[in-house]
Amino acid sequence: MRKTVLDFWLIFRVLIFPGFTFVLFLTLFCDWVERKIEARMQNRVGPAVAGPAGILQPLADLIKLFTKEEIIPSNAKKNVFRIAPIVAFSIMVFAMCFLPIDGSSAISSSGFVGDLIFVMALVTVANFLLFISGWASSSPYGAIGAARVLTQFLGYDIPLFLLALTPAFLAKELTLSAIVSSQYIPFIILAPWGFVLFIITLQAELEKDPFDIPHAESELVGGLETEYGGGKLAFLHLTRDVQIVLGASLVVTFFLGGPNGPVFFGLSGFWYSLWFVLKLLAIVVITEYITCLFARLRIDQVLTANWRILLPLSILSLALTITMTTWVYPSVT
Amino acid sequence: MRSLATWARLKSPWVLHFNSGACNGCDIEIVALLTPRYDVERFGIKLEPSPRHADVLLTSGAVTRQCAERLKRIYDQMPEPKFVVAIGACACSGGVFKGNYTILGGVDKVIPVNAYIPGCPPKPEAIIDGVVKLLNSLQQPKSEGKQ
Amino acid sequence: MTQVNEASLISTLLDRIGGLGCIQPNYLGKATIQVNADSIRKIIEILLKSDNTAVIVAITGLDLLEKLGLMYHLRTHGSIVTVRTEVPKDNPRISTITDLIPGANFHEREVADLLGVVFQGHPNLARLVLPDDWPKNLYPLRKDADLQEVTAKLDSCLCSTQPEIEQKQAQKETGLVNIVVGPQHPALLEPEKFSLTVDGETVKVVEPRIGYVHRGIEKASEQRTYLQDIYLVERICGICNSCHAVAFAGAVEKILKTEVPTRAKYIRTIILELNRLHSHLLVLGHAGLEIGYETLFQYMWRDREPIMDLTELLTGNRVVSSSMTVGGVRRDLKEADVPKIKTQLDILKKKLVFYQSLFQNETSLKMRTQKVGFLSTEDALKLCVVGPVPRASGVNTDVRKDEPYEAYGEIPFRTVTRTEGDTYARLMVRLDELNESINIIEYALDNMPTGPFRVRVPRIVTAGEAINRVEAPRGELFHYVKSNGTAYPERVKVRTPTFANLPAFLKTAIGESIADIPANFVSLDPCFSCTDR
Repeated sequence: MRKTVLDFWLIFRVLIFPGFTFVLFLTLFCDWVERKIEARMQNRVGPAVAGPAGILQPLADLIKLFTKEEIIPSNAKKNVFRIAPIVAFSIMVFAMCFLPIDGSSAISSSGFVGDLIFVMALVTVANFLLFISGWASSSPYGAIGAARVLTQFLGYDIPLFLLALTPAFLAKELTLSAIVSSQYIPFIILAPWGFVLFIITLQAELEKDPFDIPHAESELVGGLETEYGGGKLAFLHLTRDVQIVLGASLVVTFFLGGPNGPVFFGLSGFWYSLWFVLKLLAIVVITEYITCLFARLRIDQVLTANWRILLPLSILSLALTITMTTWVYPSVT
Repeated sequence: MRSLATWARLKSPWVLHFNSGACNGCDIEIVALLTPRYDVERFGIKLEPSPRHADVLLTSGAVTRQCAERLKRIYDQMPEPKFVVAIGACACSGGVFKGNYTILGGVDKVIPVNAYIPGCPPKPEAIIDGVVKLLNSLQQPKSEGKQ
Repeated sequence: MTQVNEASLISTLLDRIGGLGCIQPNYLGKATIQVNADSIRKIIEILLKSDNTAVIVAITGLDLLEKLGLMYHLRTHGSIVTVRTEVPKDNPRISTITDLIPGANFHEREVADLLGVVFQGHPNLARLVLPDDWPKNLYPLRKDADLQEVTAKLDSCLCSTQPEIEQKQAQKETGLVNIVVGPQHPALLEPEKFSLTVDGETVKVVEPRIGYVHRGIEKASEQRTYLQDIYLVERICGICNSCHAVAFAGAVEKILKTEVPTRAKYIRTIILELNRLHSHLLVLGHAGLEIGYETLFQYMWRDREPIMDLTELLTGNRVVSSSMTVGGVRRDLKEADVPKIKTQLDILKKKLVFYQSLFQNETSLKMRTQKVGFLSTEDALKLCVVGPVPRASGVNTDVRKDEPYEAYGEIPFRTVTRTEGDTYARLMVRLDELNESINIIEYALDNMPTGPFRVRVPRIVTAGEAINRVEAPRGELFHYVKSNGTAYPERVKVRTPTFANLPAFLKTAIGESIADIPANFVSLDPCFSCTDR
């Protein structure tokens, strides 16, 4: 095989499928799903005019934002203000490229040892860049919103990471594609406690109700997004939406067997992607359902929930998983 | 490209609501637009918290002396393209309060208005009608000018 | 609420006041006491001694040409006692009573702002409702105020800079952060400004700046006829519009000594209770929005729509109903409408069961509202708050029971009170009142008397003055009307419930987390268009 052919194939996989373009459209689709579910839960219809059943609504929002005038507040840190949202978005999409969506990941098809930790670290960096965006806008609401984001994601990153180690212990591997391929029985059955806790911690990491303080309009106006408009706002929104897709993908990879599923005919890649997307949608539905059911907790209640409840529980969950792996499941893994 | 941009703007008008001296009658009818019976999210209309995120400014109430400067500042903070809808008799012309010692008059004394929706308060159906008419007028070629 | 015998109240007052003032029984309340300006503090002290739960309802200022009249309306044992005095116009000074009754703070500031009376000893006589750049020594409510110049200059007021209250110097020294909320803020439906000084997450000082919605309604009402004034006064607030209309019309009817037909009284009661239903559903939904519970907001407002439909059925408009007139109501109730009203109310009653269980069982909601924004019974009385707010702190006060008006004297219902005094209690009081309102409407429909629905009244109203109180959804609404024998009123004074409740917010917010401010604020059910007029 000549090097040039490999290069084109890599570019295709990273930029089109299952990379950037696929992730972008998947994100827009998930945004539509979320809005429809929220509307239905609230006894409404939701987007209905843009495209059939409103499916083009997120795309219309995106295009509209890019066609707006660019306004930069005079006392903002201009270069950071412009660049931070774009970099945050790129990092999230980059992280998505390591997930085995159609059987193998876009970059380095069988992954590399420790790419689980790498992906988790990328998520943290992207969130940190969101904090920087809010800080760069130099407005009181932006600053407070950014501070809240920082407090929340730094706090919840720790239990999230501990819970992400649960499937690593079950599979005895730190590579995402290896974790997927060792799920003859999906890990949700072997470690349901991990699944439940991961979903709850994910709600906080994604800043969704009941943990959506950084987006509390009634307290913070627009939070860290207050001074952003137009294209940069589009990138901030996209970062958040891709993070939701990334979070759901992690759940699917860790606990639901990733793209594993029966292949009926034709390209196996197609069927794997289909199963992955279906499982991902199921998780998105679950998280959105939880969002609609609860009120928003106060910041001190959120922090209590993290340090006093979730962190000890995640340590316990890890201990429990290790116990089960060593003594109860040796035949499985 | 331009028609794509126009299509996107028509399908996703984000609004900001500002009360510049109203009795709350028009405000509760505007907030009622988001509720299940009227549900303007169908048209892609979202209520935004910050002027920087919004395309359409919905104003209610006659402009009082204290609010005039705020109104202008909020209008200036919104990025182009932007539109202003004056909702209710007071926003159109001062309504029942015209001539009082703190009232400037309608919203058009301070900022340019694209659509007027009369009523005291206008029913939510009238408000939706006005907004839809504004969106449709944007589809006309530029030579027709603003309403 | 024990109703003190009128004669014993008067005789007690006579004994204690002695030669300080002369008493007019049954005028402007249960009694009016005319005193000299220097004895005002003594009289207030005597009244407070005879009833330590007495509160101030309003302070009305009047322009009496050479003098400025002041009327202190106090509520004691459920009814109003008015203390009148006068100060010369060229030197309008009088001692403050804010140390005796802290709740009089805003009332005195308003009279100082609009009429120019100086209250000696008042902690802070800054502008309340007029803009910061209003010319000094121009008092709009005085008859000789020349407002032409100001009105002509309005167009240029955009260029003038508005001086803002800045405390940056002080904060740099103490390290506290100043956050300004408003006038445009997603939490607030209306423009008003709160300057919060916070230490980390705890609020230390709250300074409100109201007056953004001041439309000069009291002055404008003097230039319109009584009938036109009903349309003007209704638009003080779109949410409680019928209450303002009834309060005003009722005061004029008292001056004319007109007897409103019973059928009109029942119809007025029904419209007032429909007003209460829609207002409580509105604020409960809004509270849901403030604590991030959007689903609750959508559900409550969905269930509020049938009430708007019923209002439209009865009066022709969803919000501002314009159904009251001096002498009765403008439209009769049709027999065919009664079953429609009853069906909708039955549906709402069933939904209320769901909401009751939601409020009692939903953890995240309780976590945000319980033990937040505590107002003690003592503070509720000292700050003279009205409506569901003191009722949630254990004070049993309701104008419909204390001094029944319209048909409330004949309809059985109970006053809802709670003792916890926190945000949760205030919301629950309103939720329970919904049930009571539905019962009142059903009783009124079942026992509707026949007869005319209005009486004709003369256009020119004889000289006189009267007060009228109505229990609006937010609390006690007070109107004072003075007529001078022409077709135009001499003075109309409105004291709205939020005006009385605002000091309570300032008290409950201090010491609490900044995150609790929105929920706390909404539980007081503020309406700034009412406050600013």
